[in-house]
Amino acid sequence: MIRYLGRKLLIYLVTFWVAVTIDWAIPRFMPGDPIERLLSRMQAQPASADALTGYYTQAFGFDVPIWQQYLNFWAALFQGDLGRSISNFPTPISELVISALPYTLALLIPAILLSFWAGNKLGALAARRKRLDNTVLPVSYVLTATPQMWLGIMLAWIFASSLAIFPVSGAYALDLQPAWSLEFALSFLEHWILPFSALFLVALGGWAIGMRNMIIYELEAEYSHYLASLGAPTRLVRKYAYRNALLPQITGLALALGAVTAGAIVVEIVFSYPGLGSLTLGAIQNRDYFLIQGIFLFLITGVLIANFIIDIAYVLIDPRTRVGMQGGA
Amino acid sequence: MTAHKRWSAVAVGLTAFIAATALGVGGAGAEQQSAFALPRAQTLYMSGNQWSPNNDLNPAKNWDYITGLVGFAYETPFRYDPLNDTFKPWLATSGKWTSKTTYSMTIRKNVKWTDGQVLKPSDVKYSFDLAKISTHPQLALWTDTGLKSTKVSGQNVIFTFSGTPGYQQFDFYRFNVAIVPQHIFKKYSQTDITTGNLEKGKIVGTGPYVYQSGVGAQSQTVVWRKNLNWWARKALGLNPAPRYIVDIHNASNAAALANFKAGNIDLFNNYAPKAAITSNVKTYFGKAPYHLGANTTWLFPNTTRKPMNDRTFRRALAYSINMGQIIDKAYQGLVQKASPTGLLPIWSKWVDQRAVEQWGFSYNANRAKAILAGNGYKDRNGDGFVENKDGSTIDLKIICPNGWSDWMTAIQIIANSAKAVGIKVTPAFPEYATLVDDRGHARYDLLLGNDRQYSNTPWTYYQYIYQLPIKDNQTNTNYERYVSQKAWDMTKVLDKIPSTNTSAYKAQMARLQRVFMQDLPAIPLWYNGMWAMFNTKYWSNWPADGAGEYTPASWRNYWQMTSIDMLTHLKPAARA
Repeated sequence: MIRYLGRKLLIYLVTFWVAVTIDWAIPRFMPGDPIERLLSRMQAQPASADALTGYYTQAFGFDVPIWQQYLNFWAALFQGDLGRSISNFPTPISELVISALPYTLALLIPAILLSFWAGNKLGALAARRKRLDNTVLPVSYVLTATPQMWLGIMLAWIFASSLAIFPVSGAYALDLQPAWSLEFALSFLEHWILPFSALFLVALGGWAIGMRNMIIYELEAEYSHYLASLGAPTRLVRKYAYRNALLPQITGLALALGAVTAGAIVVEIVFSYPGLGSLTLGAIQNRDYFLIQGIFLFLITGVLIANFIIDIAYVLIDPRTRVGMQGGA
Repeated sequence: MTAHKRWSAVAVGLTAFIAATALGVGGAGAEQQSAFALPRAQTLYMSGNQWSPNNDLNPAKNWDYITGLVGFAYETPFRYDPLNDTFKPWLATSGKWTSKTTYSMTIRKNVKWTDGQVLKPSDVKYSFDLAKISTHPQLALWTDTGLKSTKVSGQNVIFTFSGTPGYQQFDFYRFNVAIVPQHIFKKYSQTDITTGNLEKGKIVGTGPYVYQSGVGAQSQTVVWRKNLNWWARKALGLNPAPRYIVDIHNASNAAALANFKAGNIDLFNNYAPKAAITSNVKTYFGKAPYHLGANTTWLFPNTTRKPMNDRTFRRALAYSINMGQIIDKAYQGLVQKASPTGLLPIWSKWVDQRAVEQWGFSYNANRAKAILAGNGYKDRNGDGFVENKDGSTIDLKIICPNGWSDWMTAIQIIANSAKAVGIKVTPAFPEYATLVDDRGHARYDLLLGNDRQYSNTPWTYYQYIYQLPIKDNQTNTNYERYVSQKAWDMTKVLDKIPSTNTSAYKAQMARLQRVFMQDLPAIPLWYNGMWAMFNTKYWSNWPADGAGEYTPASWRNYWQMTSIDMLTHLKPAARA
């Protein structure tokens, strides 16, 4: 068990190093100098432009060779320092990311878990009821092929602009400020439903199709027929089939995490939801190196941790993995 | 645990997670004990200024600070009314040139900071002196106007200049230097004062509103509350109508417009298509162009490249542009064609009509073709497009930022108009950051720019076009890299003429216009609007042509013009 986890951990650390290095490198090789961009935005008079260029170059550490910048980056990272935002200088990146993170998590975690749960249930049901199968399957195909952004726009158009049931954008009503109160929580929930639905529905379709196909396969497997021939009730057979069918789905969950995160970015932009997605867009538009880096660092870490948890969960859920690790037949 | 119970537990867990997150978000930004719903009838909701995060509280960073920081909290010695070209005494009761090199500003008595301390002339001196710091955005006040020293003398602040002062520039700073409390700001470092975001607990101003809540990196709104002890209530009888002002952060044009259409925004200062102007929406003008012109959109030719370095080619290009089509198709009549001088309508009194008649231009395809033909630009290879005088191909690219839909349509029309007279121009839409980089380093052929807004002086426009020397990276002036020492010297002369010397000022303006139109280093196209749509459901008496001529913009630097007057003239809409 320890060897298994140790090996996994090593793989994750290497992945982390590669991902973070790419994360560090990409914005630096994008065209455009962020300080010049900042000076243009400031409409700085030439009188102060030179002094400001010098100051910002030093403040951001651009005055040292690129390899030195890379080393400085890791050194600062280990001290928990992600640097300061360029476009929102001098706000620390961690402050920007942490203030956006709750909004994104509030969308992502329920969307991932609920779609996984509901999609699998729906798929399992569809697999054994022909009529349900005829409806769930095509709907699921459509949903899973729908871009989250498009679905988001459609939801906003139908339920916010046309029917005015839900608010158009934002995370809470304009006459409120974040506060510990029921009023704020209700407003937050009201604004949360549409962006959540856009993420949830797209993911739901994929899980439902996967589970439906897996169940059909498992029910046709020899162990199912054997169990049935022994006189086991259908309910029991299906229960075993479901458990087996769930395993590849859990692997899929690990893979899907990254995709859902990307989906959250576009959905947040559609709904002007003040999470990491909106922050990312602003950072890219402003060539805010450090902010882009910081956001992706959080995403990379998040996805890796979630995958690691799923790896552990796999051991717990699937007895064969445990047996395999213990050298059993 | 049965499956049913297990899933119920999951559902309860998730609900608890969402609730906790909601409360966590609430807690993270909570500045008061409970949420408060603002009284709608007493609250003005506005949007259109704030695109950067709502957490910059530095009055020196006038491209970034939260909406209203200067205007609501910090005030300026004077305000400038661009629609009537007058300065209005504000924290200063008066100011005059006591000699050719000395300006005396009398500071108003009985003005209090919101912490109860009295505004002193030394605060004003301190605020002007801050601009001496080399990284201060307003450093040019000290390097470019000839200002040498400031001193307090009784209730006056005396500004001493060496040589002839840059009157025009100094006038600009009279309504653009935010007066800050020395007793608070002296605790900040120089770096903080010029580049920091400063602290929300330390917003101590003199103005009509006090900061209530909302500052934060991911905040959607900032709320300002009326300052019941504002000095101008007693001194000038002014009383802004809204008890609260909520400025809404812009995440996207589309989302902001949807909010306006839903009635959630009273003052909308983003661009919106004409269809958004419905029966309960008012604009400054009742008919086209609906909005005031806030800045000129220029076509910048890169004069370091062939054939844009030839003024006859630039003239032909200017004649080729079908402005009527741009106004109709890209803007549905929401903008006006610019004067060939490029000067804003507020400066029309300075326009030299004789020069315009002689050197002005307007859409005339035949004239464009004739200029090209008469100057050696001929189609030698029969491809339908003219070549350079030396026979080399002309294949130009015109660029504007991707996503700026009105400009994207406009440059397509410009490209088509140019093709119609035989100049091969192709539109392209790079990302804004890429465009800025290419613009600064002259890696372009043709592009649009509109950086300069309303000001007290056309000097800011001529500086934008002519400033020398050319640097490696041109961040905000002379994008076209046009080198004319004569024109730049003439601009500097304009700076040194006081506005009160009308005849000399007019004569210099006439010279500049003539030189400009002869050479056309940049081609003026149209006046970009001071986009302002008013929802009349909750507030009435909005600025309007002939009935309340105030700037209707919540944008930075407009509050110290006459946007504050908009607030003092607003009235709650009559209840049905």
